[in-house]
Amino acid sequence: MTDRDAQAENIRLIRESAAAIAPRRGDFARIRALRFTHLGFDRAVWHEICAMGWVGLLLPEAHGGSAFGVAEYCALAEEFGAALAPEPLIPAVFAASFLRGDMLADHLTGKRLVLPAWQEKPGELPASHLTRIASGEVSGRKIFVPMANGADAFLVAAEGGLGLVDADGEGVSVVTAPTQDGGHFGTITFEDSPAEALPGDIAPALDVAALATAAYLLGLMDRVFAATLDYLRTREQFGRKIGSFQALQHRTADLKILLELTRASIASAAESLDASDDARTRAAAVSRAKARASDAALRMTREAIQIHGGIAYTDEFDIGLFLRKAMVVANQFGTSAWHRARYAAIAPESEE
Amino acid sequence: MSHPMSQPVSHPVPAEDLNALDDDAFRQIVRRFVAENYPPEIRNPPKRLHWRDNKVWYLKLAEKGWLAPGWPREYGGMGLSAAKQLIMIEEFERFGCARTNDHGVVMVGPLLIRNGSEEQKRVFLPKILSGEHIWCQGYSEPNAGSDLASLRTEAVLEGDHWVINGQKTWTTLATDANWIFLLARTDRAAKKQEGISFLLVPMDAPGVTVRPIINLELHDEFCETFFDNVRVPKENLVGEVNRGWTMAKALLGFERIFLGSPRQSAYALIRLKRLAEHVGCAEDAVFVDRYTRLRLDLADHRALYETHVVKLRRGEGLGADVSMLKIHQSELCQRITDVMLDIAGEDGGLLEPIEGNRDLHPAGLFIQARPTSIYGGTNEIQRNILAKNVLDLPG
Repeated sequence: MTDRDAQAENIRLIRESAAAIAPRRGDFARIRALRFTHLGFDRAVWHEICAMGWVGLLLPEAHGGSAFGVAEYCALAEEFGAALAPEPLIPAVFAASFLRGDMLADHLTGKRLVLPAWQEKPGELPASHLTRIASGEVSGRKIFVPMANGADAFLVAAEGGLGLVDADGEGVSVVTAPTQDGGHFGTITFEDSPAEALPGDIAPALDVAALATAAYLLGLMDRVFAATLDYLRTREQFGRKIGSFQALQHRTADLKILLELTRASIASAAESLDASDDARTRAAAVSRAKARASDAALRMTREAIQIHGGIAYTDEFDIGLFLRKAMVVANQFGTSAWHRARYAAIAPESEE
Repeated sequence: MSHPMSQPVSHPVPAEDLNALDDDAFRQIVRRFVAENYPPEIRNPPKRLHWRDNKVWYLKLAEKGWLAPGWPREYGGMGLSAAKQLIMIEEFERFGCARTNDHGVVMVGPLLIRNGSEEQKRVFLPKILSGEHIWCQGYSEPNAGSDLASLRTEAVLEGDHWVINGQKTWTTLATDANWIFLLARTDRAAKKQEGISFLLVPMDAPGVTVRPIINLELHDEFCETFFDNVRVPKENLVGEVNRGWTMAKALLGFERIFLGSPRQSAYALIRLKRLAEHVGCAEDAVFVDRYTRLRLDLADHRALYETHVVKLRRGEGLGADVSMLKIHQSELCQRITDVMLDIAGEDGGLLEPIEGNRDLHPAGLFIQARPTSIYGGTNEIQRNILAKNVLDLPG
């Protein structure tokens, strides 16, 4: 078995086991029930996710992980997207790469959920921070922490390094704002909050998270496109299936092209991350895929609404769930505009 | 043609079997051969070349035994796997090799090998390989373009001869050709696809007239070809009567992937950057954003193209989804040339390259980008194919 075959087999198994927790079929009753609740996701499901070993899937086996590649991670994120799963897999995987010892073990089992608080500016991956860490204390403000109400601790990226801060620690305040998909963003303020310093550089982890986010959007697109095709094949107007109208066929063909470009872009970026240690190559590949997925997911969900017509404008109908999720996720870990600009700045122009 | 032979006839110099080489070694061999043998004066020609200009390359390939990569070796081809053929074409494209008068090699040869009589193979295949027969294609008609099966050129059997009447159009490079293969209606009563046959006609047969058509590039590569009571022996029909449509359709092989090759867009994108530098807007934020979007589209197109190439390498056939590549490539190329015209200002209306620099010809590339979404099945037809055969939408 080649490495590639082994990876393909891992991916097949991951997709298969994801079906129990993040199903591609069935209704969205679970997702709807969790919308606009305090936590926004399901603790019991989070424990199942942890029990599958998914939070540590990128970690070496010596650290309790599965030593999977980014391609496997993207497959899992895709399944989460197809199910519109609200559980904070991507932030938790991000945090896991900086934790060690007991705090890692507790994070991996779901006993204590650590969520990263890295962002200070909207829409971009950070080059620097105003938040400071010194002498075991953190001060500053972090924004857009998804599902912040679920955090037992925050992994804070700061000038001076990383710090782990208890969510109910001294000087920590969490203010949340609900998001379109039924979750929430937290704004976390730290005032001389006690922090445990951790080593590490968040830049590579941000890139991996950005790509996983692109994969989540791909899964979302896949599912909403399948639902749209079903509708085109069954809905009748003027005595015909609406999918027989060429105006809709051609729009749908264009969406298929968009979907497959996104899939190819993410797959080749995952391959770059698994194969290359060069920071620019990795970052360029991620920016390409994230820019593609963010724009594509918004276009796909907009078009899905239009093709379904009036029914799609009701909250009762599921297509809106995809649009709202895309609106929230598309701009996480760098907007498409930010990623395009980074790509322009770092990707070599080949004359080949 | 009354003594059909029972054995396939060998090309005098069977090509070396290169399938055993690994892909990289094979690529290097092709790359070196091209660099050492391709006439430098016809690299990256701005227009499709006539036989008088490309025959030197055609004959070099013939001499090497590399003219027909896809034909089996017993017929004088290279017998290459699809994956290795792809490498060859990639290397040719990379070097900027001109397309030759390749209808004999790409269309007639494979069709005869699959459906022709032994006599037809014996007579025609060696003459394609030697360059003695230059073929052109008679499919489209003025009223049968996208709806090709509605073609009306008719062939009627009179004794031992087919008598052909009608008109073909877009007979590319017909003025260079001495033979034409055509689809003609042989049963007017049958359903339209089922009354069509495949015929071989010498261009010097009485009643054949060729009229070049000047296209938007002001080039004469297209022609109209008229048939006025043209008589050919009945042996010039390939395969069975009324089976021509099926045979011609089956011939659409893996070559379809080349309509979606990123090469044309990659070339256009480099030219766009040169033009922006010439105009002085290359660092302008608005241009950079537009240019970056196109770069990203090209990079993702390459990734999608690669997934299809990987399928070929694994020995899998191509599905109808290969239409995606053709649509996206041609429209990407058009969007690139749209931006060229946009930034070029009045220079975008020049007939000749700007300041005589062949790298700076926005108008030329803009016009060259027009037919890509039309030939090989218009993009609208390709979208129909995707909708029906890939997405399974109702008819």
